[in-house]
Amino acid sequence: MRYVFEFLFKYPPTVFRKGDFVLASGWPVWLLILLVLGAGAGLAWHLRKHQGWLDGKRPFVVWGLQFASVALVLFLLWRPAISIQSLRSQQNVVAVVLDTSRSMALGEGEKTRLQLAWEALDSGVIDELKEKFRVRLYAFSGGLHRLESLEKLPEAGNATRIGESVAAVLRESAALPLGAVVLLSDGADNTGAFDRGLMAEIRKRNVPVHTVGVGREEIPDDLELAEVTVPLRALPNSQLNAQVAIRHSGEDERKTRLTVRDGSTILGSKEITLRRGENVHSEWIDFNAGDAGIRYLKFAVEPAGDEEIIGNNSLSRVIDVPRGRRKILYVEGEPRWEYKFMRRAVFRDASVQLVSMLRTSPNKFYRQGVDTPEELEKGFPTAEDELFSYDALIIGSMEAGFFTPEQQEMIKQFVNRRGGTLLVLGGRNSLGDGGWGASKVAEVLPVAVSESTERTFFRETAEVSLTGQGRDSLICRFDEDPAKNLEKWKELPAIADYQRVGELKPAAVPLVNVSVEGKEVPLLVLQNYGRGKAIVLATGGTWRWKMGLPHDDTRHHVFWQQLLRSLVANSPGPVSISTNRRLYADDPTVKLRAEIRTKKFEFANNATVTALVTPESGDSHSLELYPSAEEEGVYEAQWTAAGTGAYRVETTAHLGEEVLGSEVIHFRREDGLAEDFHPEQNRELLERLAEQTGGRYWTLDEIADLPREVRFSEAGITSREIMDLWDMPFFFSLLLGLRGGEWLLRRRWGVI
Amino acid sequence: MTKTRSRTVGVILTLCLLLSSLSAQRFRGFGASEIPSDWFAPDARGEFHFARLVYSGWGGRRGGSWATDYPDAEYHFMQGVRRLTSIDSARGGKTFRPDDEDLFDYPWLYAVEVGRWDVSEEDGERLREYLLRGGFLVVDDFHGTYQWAAFLEGIRKVLPGRPIIEIGEDDPLLHVLYDLDQRSQIPGITYLWSGVTYERDGYEPYWRGIYDDDGRLMVAINFNMDLGDAWEHADTPEYPEKMTALAYRFGINYVIYSMTH
Repeated sequence: MRYVFEFLFKYPPTVFRKGDFVLASGWPVWLLILLVLGAGAGLAWHLRKHQGWLDGKRPFVVWGLQFASVALVLFLLWRPAISIQSLRSQQNVVAVVLDTSRSMALGEGEKTRLQLAWEALDSGVIDELKEKFRVRLYAFSGGLHRLESLEKLPEAGNATRIGESVAAVLRESAALPLGAVVLLSDGADNTGAFDRGLMAEIRKRNVPVHTVGVGREEIPDDLELAEVTVPLRALPNSQLNAQVAIRHSGEDERKTRLTVRDGSTILGSKEITLRRGENVHSEWIDFNAGDAGIRYLKFAVEPAGDEEIIGNNSLSRVIDVPRGRRKILYVEGEPRWEYKFMRRAVFRDASVQLVSMLRTSPNKFYRQGVDTPEELEKGFPTAEDELFSYDALIIGSMEAGFFTPEQQEMIKQFVNRRGGTLLVLGGRNSLGDGGWGASKVAEVLPVAVSESTERTFFRETAEVSLTGQGRDSLICRFDEDPAKNLEKWKELPAIADYQRVGELKPAAVPLVNVSVEGKEVPLLVLQNYGRGKAIVLATGGTWRWKMGLPHDDTRHHVFWQQLLRSLVANSPGPVSISTNRRLYADDPTVKLRAEIRTKKFEFANNATVTALVTPESGDSHSLELYPSAEEEGVYEAQWTAAGTGAYRVETTAHLGEEVLGSEVIHFRREDGLAEDFHPEQNRELLERLAEQTGGRYWTLDEIADLPREVRFSEAGITSREIMDLWDMPFFFSLLLGLRGGEWLLRRRWGVI
Repeated sequence: MTKTRSRTVGVILTLCLLLSSLSAQRFRGFGASEIPSDWFAPDARGEFHFARLVYSGWGGRRGGSWATDYPDAEYHFMQGVRRLTSIDSARGGKTFRPDDEDLFDYPWLYAVEVGRWDVSEEDGERLREYLLRGGFLVVDDFHGTYQWAAFLEGIRKVLPGRPIIEIGEDDPLLHVLYDLDQRSQIPGITYLWSGVTYERDGYEPYWRGIYDDDGRLMVAINFNMDLGDAWEHADTPEYPEKMTALAYRFGINYVIYSMTH
């Protein structure tokens, strides 16, 4: 196609795309128009006078063909041409950049991608470029290296950083008349660092980047773990689930096994079916976080027997399982069986500390789980910093009037500002029956709460059932197998009581329903509010799941452990540190982000934030985090983790003399991983890079023509070139076609 | 001969009258109160119900040692629970055999005169399951060496191998609502005519318990005392108010402990 175009139009498409059309004769255009119009009129007069025997539409057809021929000849006399800027010979530099990353070592038939690229360059392309330009040769993988010649094939490196490498070439050549960049790569920029900023930097230099794609655009029968999403932190022994995206290119449906391991211990495993036609398969896998410590998890799918690339069948992730218990404050207005059995459910839980204050008689409270005799001695907290020291709050059968308006506002801010979770249980003093509908807390709750005096709490047994969202929720997970899980829910005894709630709020997610008079109504509902979350469990009667089942049945305890852990699992402290990734594969640039709040969880904009980064082996390094220009209370830093292995980051924030808090996070650096991912040629990226810089995407088959086109550039030292179009074969063909067409018509009409 | 025969008949008749009188007293209680007719309504609702264990042994379902103080003890005690605590307590009381299906809906269970109970293997298994699921058993009103041995025989079928431990002063049971540092022997009604607080050779009161693996009390054992009588005779003018008050406190602590631990 390309050759046909160039045969007809004399020049490659680039010339027409980049150049400006001009009429190079210098004669006035109005004269051309006048002559064309005059010729048209003269031909019409001539036809009318001498060809009167033509009837119907035929005179118009003949006139049209003759007029087009004359107009075309006149147009060619005015010398149509393309005016284009081109690089001056021997005065410009062309950078040839060769990707030598590990993916370039993949086989493409009998040769590797790198060999193919190398041979393509060595087949005359470089020599031809050298005839017109000064050529600089580079190789890149992890970093950029200058090559003196094509004599020795460079060794494959670990990572592909296309964006950084091109930017580095541009930076290095800033003082040189760089006319163009020729990039030979498979496009597998797998460090994820080729972002919009880098593209903008490249575009700003206005140097066309010609990309030459190397390698297959699809690898047959390849399985790849495209992504694994896990929480950054987890409570000890809590149940977790990871979302796994598996890319597969096979034509047929196939079964494989997904496994998650911590070292040699298998934490979870399940058989999965990859369906035909789906490009990416999404799957969930459950596993236990285990004891406190750091989990280096490896997710893997079993390779197919003939799979060519198996390095992309696994992905690593890091999860922090911090020591210490998260505190939940439970305020209960009356002794209830639910209270007892809830406490029993988390009695041995090392991750949750249930601090409760129970109203045993109208004016007496019984406290359990307190750290000191003074804790909650004066009742429910009256100061924000005291309430905000808890990670979650449970309100049982306690009327709204028990709390002062200030305390109600504090409860609201506990969710909104502090980021804690509020769980409200059903009961005779709760929700609508406790006057909560008119309270400040009502806004936080995921359901509308009745403000009428009509009773909403009923001591009647009722069956429960999982909603669609409940089936996917970890809170409601008794079994990894969805069908078995559903069956286990169906077997549960009825709850002892229930409370009717109002309409669900727009963001509410119902997890469990209760059957009341043949109708399903919400029982367990949650929603996010501000930085935190609010949950309503409209019953005080799940204890029947314990008393109504054999003593070794764990469902009641598992439900409450999972529910209570979910209350505190993501509760932020005054200092929240995160890294932009947890596993840095072949990329040492670590971005730290800390969100700092005061004890009242207000933004701390004047804090001093330091991070102590300690590698697995080597010396610790202290760095300061600086306030973000964009977000309040956010501090950032960037750091280079040169060595591989695990890193510990302890971040501490001070506000003056006061220590606001500290938090620890771990990440891991590994090399030699990234190149196994996205091993197929990323043509899209290469095309985009070429398009955005004014270059062109080339295949290896077309590379022989590249030296001719590279010169059309506005970068470097250029001159304007006039490229005549009048002698294009297209015009001559057109002229012949017009005249020949008239002759053929006349023959057909028999009027020659 | 005729005189002797008529004297014998007289003695037998007197004994019969005495026995029937005692039997009636055992069921309805000494100085029984007038209980409102709706107090024991079967559909009474509440979070807490007074559940009484009906065991095999002396007597039967319609009366026997399991029914001692019934229903006056419940009537008086539950009024105390309603008045003195925040518990949503149901009126009346329930009675359950160990094999009753509904037993597990009532996690607090009271058994009286367990020195006379007869626990079969099946009953023991059933009660063991009840306790292991989280139920709480209070045993009361048994006295002396003989009855302790009889109680032991039964409780060993329920919880074989678990030790019986003296409840310590710092046990939450004694402080959950009332601080009970006064371990007085709470006497039965016989105290009114015998003048002593003990029965048989049960001279000293013992608060004992059986704990689960997590240190929580499963069985509260009132040995050599009679809380049931103290509740039953809460409005008997002759029965010491101090003892009734103490029995209420112990009873309420048992209830609240069972709902919190």
